[in-house]
Amino acid sequence: MRRDTKTGIAGLIGCAFFLLASQSIKQPAKLLEPGPRLFPYVAVILIAMSSVALIIKGVKERKIEEKPYFPKGGILKISKSYLMLVAYAIAMTWLGFLITTPFATVAFIYDLKGNSRVKLVPSVIIAVLVTAGLYAMFVWGFQVKLPAGILFE
Amino acid sequence: MSEYINALMICLQPVNLLLIVAMVSLGIVFGAIPGLSATLGIALLLPVTFGLSTETSFVLLLAIWIGGVSGTFISAVLIGIPGSSSAIATCFDGFPMTKNGEAGKALGIGMTASFIGTVGSVVLATVLSPVIADFALHLGPWEYFSLCFCAITLVASLSKGNIFKGIMAAGIGLLMGCIGMDPINGATRFTFGNVYLTAGVSTVAQMLGMFAMCQIIRDSAKGEASMPDADVGKMKGLGVGFKDIIENIRTILFAFVSGVWIGFLPGMGSGISNMVAYGYAKSISKDPDSFGKGNPAGVWASEVANNASLGGALIPMMALGIPGDGITAMLIAGLTIHGLQAGPLFMTEQPDLAMLIFACVMVSAIITYIIQIVTKRWFPYILKVPYHYLYTVILVICYIGGYGISNTMFNIYVMLALCFLAIFMSMAALPTSPLVLAFILSSKLERYFRQGISYAHGSYAEFFTRPLSAALLVISVFCVVWPLYSEHRKKMAAAAPAVQSDVNDD
Repeated sequence: MRRDTKTGIAGLIGCAFFLLASQSIKQPAKLLEPGPRLFPYVAVILIAMSSVALIIKGVKERKIEEKPYFPKGGILKISKSYLMLVAYAIAMTWLGFLITTPFATVAFIYDLKGNSRVKLVPSVIIAVLVTAGLYAMFVWGFQVKLPAGILFE
Repeated sequence: MSEYINALMICLQPVNLLLIVAMVSLGIVFGAIPGLSATLGIALLLPVTFGLSTETSFVLLLAIWIGGVSGTFISAVLIGIPGSSSAIATCFDGFPMTKNGEAGKALGIGMTASFIGTVGSVVLATVLSPVIADFALHLGPWEYFSLCFCAITLVASLSKGNIFKGIMAAGIGLLMGCIGMDPINGATRFTFGNVYLTAGVSTVAQMLGMFAMCQIIRDSAKGEASMPDADVGKMKGLGVGFKDIIENIRTILFAFVSGVWIGFLPGMGSGISNMVAYGYAKSISKDPDSFGKGNPAGVWASEVANNASLGGALIPMMALGIPGDGITAMLIAGLTIHGLQAGPLFMTEQPDLAMLIFACVMVSAIITYIIQIVTKRWFPYILKVPYHYLYTVILVICYIGGYGISNTMFNIYVMLALCFLAIFMSMAALPTSPLVLAFILSSKLERYFRQGISYAHGSYAEFFTRPLSAALLVISVFCVVWPLYSEHRKKMAAAAPAVQSDVNDD
């Protein structure tokens, strides 16, 4: 199945979901104008129309070979990277910025290094410096609060 | 005039001047490194501005913008990879010049052309914006709706590959803009009982998730986070003189005018203007065959045009409150963070701040040029920054930014969800510009549309009977229909010879 077809199918599923969700929007009575449901409907129609067009395009061009978007192993790599981002967010929610960031920084350095050679000790030093530097810059410099973590609040 | 001078004085205050120097330098680095961009720089800086004054915030954002747009030619010239789409045409002749041992001259042209394009277009924007804003004050919700609608359709129709992908992206943007309270009645939409969603999806979370985070992990997965070495020759001196400018004056003038005009049109920013100007430079050249082999006119055309688009994009942003591209959309988001609405009222009610924006762009352009002259010989080193360290710091800053929006973890999760959406969109080749524009303009679009109908006592006729509104709607329809029609014609033309050959075979 071509990517256009898959996109179209995903679009239609999304449309069905949001069309259903639009029904719960309260529409005030006796309005001179179309009310709050109009724009969600317009957006859903636009997506649905384009989805159908993409499905048709995908089916028409099904015999044309498609170049994969990611190189071999790319999907696995991006999934791993994304899960790391989610894990960092969850850890930060519970443990706060200061405890989680050095570990996350080392993990990100190793994840993003590609073919470059990275040594653990310099990475740990960089991670600690980045955490301390960003904490000082944002908390003391820009007066921006950083998460303290549910366990320490 | 007095407002402009006051604004200049604010920019020239030591602290602000220092900030401009720092941000312009950072912007040049962001612009120079392929994968990073001025857009990303602004997205990262938006959360920093929460705790700063409006003036300082805008000094930061505008300085990184100018530095970032100007810096894109560096990698285009030195390694043949454009820092962003605005420098694609710069590669055509800039990189061959480097290979011919003229890297210093090519960089000098890039710097000077960027300076001419930015300064000239900002002067024009400073003069024209108040005039257009005065005119815009007489427009009603019908014209504003049609203008916003026209902007979105223009951007969607210019989507690479397939107009339906552009429309789909615009639809997703509109849907995202619908989340939260509706702008007229205050009815909640798609909040699913979540209190945090009542205020809608944060623009900052959207920018950080869809631009910064997505780009970093996607590039890493695609193996695009590495660069070839720069082959540099003589780098001393500016590399260009007044004589070079005079020799290329026709190219520069056309590139400037086309750059400003294309920048003014929504969706047609510097990514298109550099190609148009390059094409023109080639067409008027006495030696068109030398283009692509290191003709300096190619670099002049591309760099003047893409920087002139910057001033062109400022005009609709300031005078009408309509962002022309992703970057100006973010600048509008920056204004919104500080409780300001870009548009004609902003220009007339807060001329001091409006002029500060123009003055800051001007000062930033001058400082960018000076910094580039001083640091030119170190440009190749910018391209040697290890990606994995830089990207890691950017990721951590994204989290800080996401948290800073509302001092809760909620927006970090929104950011992650939008990052996921952006990955899906890039795999599906759905463009992000229509989404961003539709998302930013969605509340205006809806408000003006519904107000227009309310004011006309339930009638839709005003949208079609008011001349400007009708003209804009006709342009919008044309924008959607024309790509479909031209695609159909292309297919017919391609099919015709095939039919012919079949007949002959028979």
